[in-house]
Amino acid sequence: MSAQKTTIEFNDKIVRQFILATVIWGIVGMLVGVIVATQLNFWQVNFKTSWLTFGRLRPLHTNAVIFAFVGNMMFAGVYYSTQRLVKARLASDFLSQLHFWGWQAIIVAAAVTLPLGLTRGKEYAELIWPINIAVALIWVVFGVNFFWTLARRRERSLYVAIWFYIATIVTVAMLYIVNHLSLPTSLTHSYPLFGGVQDGLVQWWYGHNAVAFFLTTPILGIMYYFIPKAAERPVYSYRLSVVHFWSLVFVYIWAGPHHLLNTALPDWLQTLGMTFSLMLWAPSWGGMLNGLLTLRGAWHKLRTDPVLKFMAAAVTFYGMATFEGPLLSIKSVNALGHYTDWIIGHVHAGALGWNGFMAAGMIYWLLPRLWNKPLHSVSLANLHFWLGTVGILLYVAAMWTSGITQGVMLNATTDNGTVLAYPNFLDTLNTIRPLMLMRVIGGGLYLAGFLILAYNMWQTLRGAQPVNGTVEVFADDEAHAPADAKLGLLGTFLNPPVLFSILGVGFACAWMFGANALSVAGLVGTMLCVILAYAHWESRGKAWAGWYDRLLVNTAPFTILTFVAVVAGGLIQLVPLVVSHRAANVEDRRQIPYTPLELAGRDIYVREGCYTCHSQMIRTLVPDVLRYGDYSRLGESIYDHPYQWGSRRTGPDLARVGGKYPNVWHLRHMEDPRQVSIGSNMPNYPWLLANPTDVAALPSKLSVQRTLGVPYPNWTPEQIRTRVDDQAKTISADLRAAGAYVAPDKEIVALIAYLQQLGKFESVGTPAAKTAAGQ
Amino acid sequence: MKSPDTSANPAEPVRPHVYDGIQEYDKRLPNWWLYTLYITIVFWVGYWSYYEWFRVGQGSAQTVSAAMAKIEAERLSVAKLDDASLWQMSRNANFVAAGKAVFDTNCAACHLASLRGKGENPAAIGPDLTDTAWVHGGKPTEIHDLITKGVLAKGMPTWGPVLGAKKVGEVTAYILSKHKEGEPVVVTPNP
Repeated sequence: MSAQKTTIEFNDKIVRQFILATVIWGIVGMLVGVIVATQLNFWQVNFKTSWLTFGRLRPLHTNAVIFAFVGNMMFAGVYYSTQRLVKARLASDFLSQLHFWGWQAIIVAAAVTLPLGLTRGKEYAELIWPINIAVALIWVVFGVNFFWTLARRRERSLYVAIWFYIATIVTVAMLYIVNHLSLPTSLTHSYPLFGGVQDGLVQWWYGHNAVAFFLTTPILGIMYYFIPKAAERPVYSYRLSVVHFWSLVFVYIWAGPHHLLNTALPDWLQTLGMTFSLMLWAPSWGGMLNGLLTLRGAWHKLRTDPVLKFMAAAVTFYGMATFEGPLLSIKSVNALGHYTDWIIGHVHAGALGWNGFMAAGMIYWLLPRLWNKPLHSVSLANLHFWLGTVGILLYVAAMWTSGITQGVMLNATTDNGTVLAYPNFLDTLNTIRPLMLMRVIGGGLYLAGFLILAYNMWQTLRGAQPVNGTVEVFADDEAHAPADAKLGLLGTFLNPPVLFSILGVGFACAWMFGANALSVAGLVGTMLCVILAYAHWESRGKAWAGWYDRLLVNTAPFTILTFVAVVAGGLIQLVPLVVSHRAANVEDRRQIPYTPLELAGRDIYVREGCYTCHSQMIRTLVPDVLRYGDYSRLGESIYDHPYQWGSRRTGPDLARVGGKYPNVWHLRHMEDPRQVSIGSNMPNYPWLLANPTDVAALPSKLSVQRTLGVPYPNWTPEQIRTRVDDQAKTISADLRAAGAYVAPDKEIVALIAYLQQLGKFESVGTPAAKTAAGQ
Repeated sequence: MKSPDTSANPAEPVRPHVYDGIQEYDKRLPNWWLYTLYITIVFWVGYWSYYEWFRVGQGSAQTVSAAMAKIEAERLSVAKLDDASLWQMSRNANFVAAGKAVFDTNCAACHLASLRGKGENPAAIGPDLTDTAWVHGGKPTEIHDLITKGVLAKGMPTWGPVLGAKKVGEVTAYILSKHKEGEPVVVTPNP
């Protein structure tokens, strides 16, 4: 053994930077959360400005918590642990700094644009297209920096945490890019490439997997580093790591459609979404088991060590949320819980419990090590833990009760099931108001706990000297995978585990989607694959393990296989719907394209974030049909870029609100909702009565819509203006006749035009299997 | 090399590799965990077969259409009211109280809690329901039909399917309670 010893100094400065950013943006994101939660009871908390109104602030809250808080936390954890797990300093100080400052600039840009109403109108994908490009670029910087570091590693084999980081980087890039494909109409506005059901499906393929690969996999990687470090115990089971990693990344991608259960989404996709969500339960719990069982023999440390306390609780909340997820994916449970606070509670069990507590545990572990000074106060950390825990429990309990109460009330009928028991939507809203207040208290406690963390950090950092970790390495550590361990392309794919997996999935798809003989062949093929794989594994299991050991010293093959695993589900769900001709996919109704004025009104609807409280999707459920009218068909939103099916009904569904009320009702309602809806918690929108409609932007918008396939004639800008003027004057005159005058050029006129058009369609005869109901 | 805690237990072997001091056991997967995974896979095969392969289970559109058809039949079976019975209801305190509750939550937004609508405040959306002028006819059955079917062009929603026959009857009774049988009815189509 040559003993050429060198010392490597890690780049811990970047970790310190990301930690500080985590705490700052965490406070901002949580504070905005408490504000929007308060607004649900006291709409006046928008201080009468459009910028601070719920519809614009709620996207700021979600984006801040996901991308700013958890994002920065993830980068800190990934950079800290990766350097140590591969015994190499981060590849490039420049890329690290570019990554940090680029990400912070994106967050600031988001915090400015979202309150201004600049949005793409898709959840967790609201940021406008120039910022989308910046996010993609900075993500590439992160990826290059990370993989470059792996290339320079002195540890041959990749630890399980690194597997999860690889899956995160590859998958988030794929999801983000596809869901943000847009055509710009101006510097700050764009229309998504996909429309209607396609857009909905792509959105939830992204949205669900943003939860999976932004909020789950990187944090699991962080768990696999910090829990064994803090507990000083070996990880419970390597083979459980292998099984749950691959099953998790493979199955997660398929489950997205569970966000669209009982909607117009084709039934086969709903069935896929529900069944794969159930199959996701065990893989998720694999991570929880490996986290909690690693603590065997170290449980006594939980009494004294706040780090382990936070992490054990976080993993427990992870287990709770990943049990609740499959439960909510069962169609009949979803019929009750969807569009209610139950979903909000579910998300927060994950965000506050799993992400927030993992962040806190990691920060308390890192502070003394990054600044070479003991934590200022363990008692304050314990206080943080208990405030946070009580906060989460209050929050989640309030949301469960609220969601189930409202769901039951909305679905309740009388008169032999022919009439709604609570026909007035506001009755159901006002019943859950105390619970929404309890949620504010829970969230406030959680924020208070986090402020204590910030104070504790401040006190720890005062006068402390930053210190960078080091490791001693030997010159011959430099050697990478020896020649006999290299996996070429053939070695990556031509081996029993991969071949059996690919064949098995291929046959299973033939069974699911093939007709008659192909289907039967698929089923037989799948079963043969399973039996052969089992027999082969029983007899040659060592070869499987040996191959996997070789895979772990080959970054590129590992990354390729991870990508293959995550791309399968996406391809199978998205491709059929996206390539099929839209007009063929309408059931029996087709949307009438919006007039230019209505399109302008729709963009106002999107700008104000109306979709954060109102859905436009009447589900194939009796209570929905009784309350809102005939169920929504696929064809009724095909020209909607972006789709606006929504995910939460704080207010009623609007899919068929057109023509339900006179124009003057909408005017009064937007001016002050309580004039016509007594007890409403919707904010006033006085600026819609004052601001002029942006007609000048319409030619560019219509031209982009034409490119996207919406059948508009090739109008000149003058023709567009004439159409806008004519329709606006008609509405304005109608308002005047009803005793309320608004000039035709105001935004409210465009919005009324849009709202009154909702639910208008033309019938098209199709031999679709779905027959028209209740016509 | 650091020598990490091997827990010195030969019954619990660790993997040969150490990463930054982290070791790994290689424990068996818990059986209950494996069975959870297998059961969900079997469920997928069964559920997919039932709904998508053999199509024994009905699609969601057919399910809701069938359920709505049943409800329609139930509604049609409800007996029709006539002028005399509606006047009778309007003099019954129970009906009027129930009707007032329905009116206050659903109708007062446009017709005002006083029922006087435009008669009290010209800015109100709905017409006065207490005077003798009627836009669409003032006979009890005409009022009842109007509430049931609505007049979308004038902004009167279709309340029948929303409230149900019982509540429409009650609210008709409440409106009639502000009137007397035999009083003049002036129909003025354009208010």
